[in-house]
Amino acid sequence: MAQRQRALSTPPRRPRWASLSRWPPSLGIAALTAVAGLGLGSLGALLWQARELHPAMLWQSPWLAAVLRFTLWQATLSTLLAVGLAVPVALALARRPRFPGRALLLRAMELSLVLPTLIGLFGLVAVHGRRGWAAPLWEWLLGSESGYLYGLSGIVLAHVFYNLPLSARLMLQALESAPAAHWRLAAQLGLTRRTLWRTLEWPRLAPLLPRLAALVFTLCFTSFAIVMTLGGGPRSSTLEVALYQALKFDHDLALAALLALTQLVICLSLWLLALSRGGAPSLVVGQVTLPLQGRWHRRDAVGASRLTDAVWLTALAALLLPPLLAVVAAGLTGLPDLPRSASLWPAAARSLVMALGAGLGALALAVALLTGSRWLAACGRRWAALLMEAGGQLILVIPALVLGTGLFLLLRPTLGSGWQGYALVVLVNAFMALPFAMQVVRGALPGLSAPEQRLAEQFGIRGRARLRWLVWPRLRRPLALALAYAMTLSLGDFSVIALFGSPSAPTLPMLLYQQLGGYRWQGAAATALLLMALVVLIFALLGWLTRRPPRYPFTRYPHEERHARVSRSDVSL
Amino acid sequence: MRYLLVLALGLATSSVASAAERTLTVYTYDSFVSEWGPGPGIEAAFEARCGDCDLRFVALDGGVDILQRLRLEGEGSGADLVLGLDMNLMAEARQLGLLAPHRVDTAPLALPIDWNDDTFLPYDWGHFAFVYDSEQLEEPPGSFRELLEAPEEVQLILQDPRTSVTGQGLLLWIKHVYGDAALEVWAQLNERVLSVTNSWSQAYFSLFMNGEAPMVLSYATSPAYHMAVEETDRYQAAEFEEGHYLQVETAAMLADTPHPELARDFLTFMLTPDFQRHIPLGNVMNPAIELGDELPAVFDRLIDPESLTFTPEQVSENRRAWIREWLNASVR
Repeated sequence: MAQRQRALSTPPRRPRWASLSRWPPSLGIAALTAVAGLGLGSLGALLWQARELHPAMLWQSPWLAAVLRFTLWQATLSTLLAVGLAVPVALALARRPRFPGRALLLRAMELSLVLPTLIGLFGLVAVHGRRGWAAPLWEWLLGSESGYLYGLSGIVLAHVFYNLPLSARLMLQALESAPAAHWRLAAQLGLTRRTLWRTLEWPRLAPLLPRLAALVFTLCFTSFAIVMTLGGGPRSSTLEVALYQALKFDHDLALAALLALTQLVICLSLWLLALSRGGAPSLVVGQVTLPLQGRWHRRDAVGASRLTDAVWLTALAALLLPPLLAVVAAGLTGLPDLPRSASLWPAAARSLVMALGAGLGALALAVALLTGSRWLAACGRRWAALLMEAGGQLILVIPALVLGTGLFLLLRPTLGSGWQGYALVVLVNAFMALPFAMQVVRGALPGLSAPEQRLAEQFGIRGRARLRWLVWPRLRRPLALALAYAMTLSLGDFSVIALFGSPSAPTLPMLLYQQLGGYRWQGAAATALLLMALVVLIFALLGWLTRRPPRYPFTRYPHEERHARVSRSDVSL
Repeated sequence: MRYLLVLALGLATSSVASAAERTLTVYTYDSFVSEWGPGPGIEAAFEARCGDCDLRFVALDGGVDILQRLRLEGEGSGADLVLGLDMNLMAEARQLGLLAPHRVDTAPLALPIDWNDDTFLPYDWGHFAFVYDSEQLEEPPGSFRELLEAPEEVQLILQDPRTSVTGQGLLLWIKHVYGDAALEVWAQLNERVLSVTNSWSQAYFSLFMNGEAPMVLSYATSPAYHMAVEETDRYQAAEFEEGHYLQVETAAMLADTPHPELARDFLTFMLTPDFQRHIPLGNVMNPAIELGDELPAVFDRLIDPESLTFTPEQVSENRRAWIREWLNASVR
């Protein structure tokens, strides 16, 4: 047997990863260099320009220390709630593969992440504000005016609104990627809710959680407009405000760089911790990912779980839908003026092209970094692997303002106008979407399971053929989701494009802010509506394109059957 | 569309060093150049006037960003002119030593204060004011004193002086009215503050237009837009008897511009009706010259308070200290 194996796989006894070419590490390193170059380069430019640094300023200023404490506190609380509550929501969604409005709920979950803060806040205020839709209910319940939107509770509510849907969506993706055979087996054995959680659900979620928590924490830590607007005053403030003041009003580059470094150190060390915790990728390697489709009867889907699931899903809808509805309602009033706006459609087209560029860039970078990191891990270089993966998060923890100023200092003589500015925005957006793309792609990338690997080796399926027939089918759905997230993030981004100035025509979010600057509130709401429609369209289109596995010559066997056959031959080896 | 074409052409030609046209690059803020802002009309009017030139706006986030961009670029800035620095940024901009005297006759100027600065030329002005929702508040306070003593439900939406121009305006306003007592006043005022937002847009649209509080810090000219375009009298500015802090927005030319005559032409053009008629409803500010009949009728219905100002030098010297004072009063 061993002899036969050797004969089939040439050259013999190669280490597992060496059977692949050298490209994973080199691509990974190239991507890492690009990310680190951009991020650290801009920070470095700022430091170099600043000349002298006084780190003592950080702890000598009591105000800054208080800001840091508050930032950490609100980010921790928001993360715990957003990620913690996302677990039961995702479980409920996975357990109920079909109910009226499920598709709508999923689309809404994808929307909330990319809603520009200004518009998201408008929706939240319209619902939860002192004169919001929920105010009468609150008054009836408590007999007093609702004031929960201002202060820590409001900040946390807004952060949960933004991040819970993202977390739950990614968890759902992980749950749905469990091999079909497992679900069939679970159904045959009639596993109860608790056993299912222990054997199927938790092992799927566990590797995801640390990274997800780190991502949400970073987003809440660097959140700026939400904290200021809902915080009710300078008591609740973030590092970014201090940074903004230092950089813009006081032109204190040294302090700005110092604050950026502080943020970098805190967030990156958290990332490293998260990565080292959730290090081992899920050992259960997926079959071709299939939507559950309710093909298997789940014993845990009846009885008390009917009630609890209903509660969780209603809560999700109550959190998510009213603010979005408020935005849609406001947008509809501005809709009649929409066609008259000459810059709207060109702006939409421009935004879409830039988003596609940024999305594809983010995807390529994510795959490069992840395969590189995986390769390093396989070679036993665990820390190098962690560092490579953490590198992908770098741009997210560097404040956009610092990034923009630093890049400006770096590229100034060549940073012209026109398409160069746009190209730079696409590039930076690709880097900013990278953590999200990595989050989605990561779970799908572990490659082949050991038995499949052996089989592939035996049959000499490698190189392009392996990629085409074995790797690609299980990657395409996650890749599509990652692309959708990256594209929509870039679509809704305003922070980067504002940095370099707009030499010519605006993008969609820029147009929106211009409209607000000119009091055109309803027009801005209509623009936001268009932005949301585009986001829905992107997710729907990419989901539709990858809705079912590609046709293979042997698809006359149902997929689960194919898996079973592989397993059987596996046993016989 | 024409505007886009002109811009595209401008980009195409500016990348070629030896373009036949003279290109005038103006750094400004983005609401100025938007489709409905004053930018497109002004550009068309100026290009018709000069014949062979091309006016190119580069839009930045706000006045502070224009200053920041000048600082970072230093000598050899890409701009010929900057448009959008307000009085409070003038001292810092002057210190950069990058700007040239405008040498424009300031006789047409019609500002509430005398103007004799030889570098910065005003193009519009307005007072900071609290805009109130008359459906929530029938009798607005007539002074700071009344505001501080007003019933509890008169809540305010402010902006942070560290991140917004209007926020900084209120800081100076209170400092001007109360001097050393400003700390106490802030402590009292903070009792009725609902939210301190990072930007004016956030305060005005996310909160005020949603009816969250009856008063918002904005401009005395804001109601003009609501009255003229939305045709509603619902939003009005409260006139305070202590006077209102004045904001004057200015333009200036760079010393090393390759087209000094053209830049001066633009500054001269700035004080003509062809430029100024786009200001009242385009930028929702008061024009810097007398527009006569061309001034929209709603501007006669705006408040006309007494103007308060510090010199640009006073502001630049004290800004940090005053912000710290505000912070102390607010965090307390």
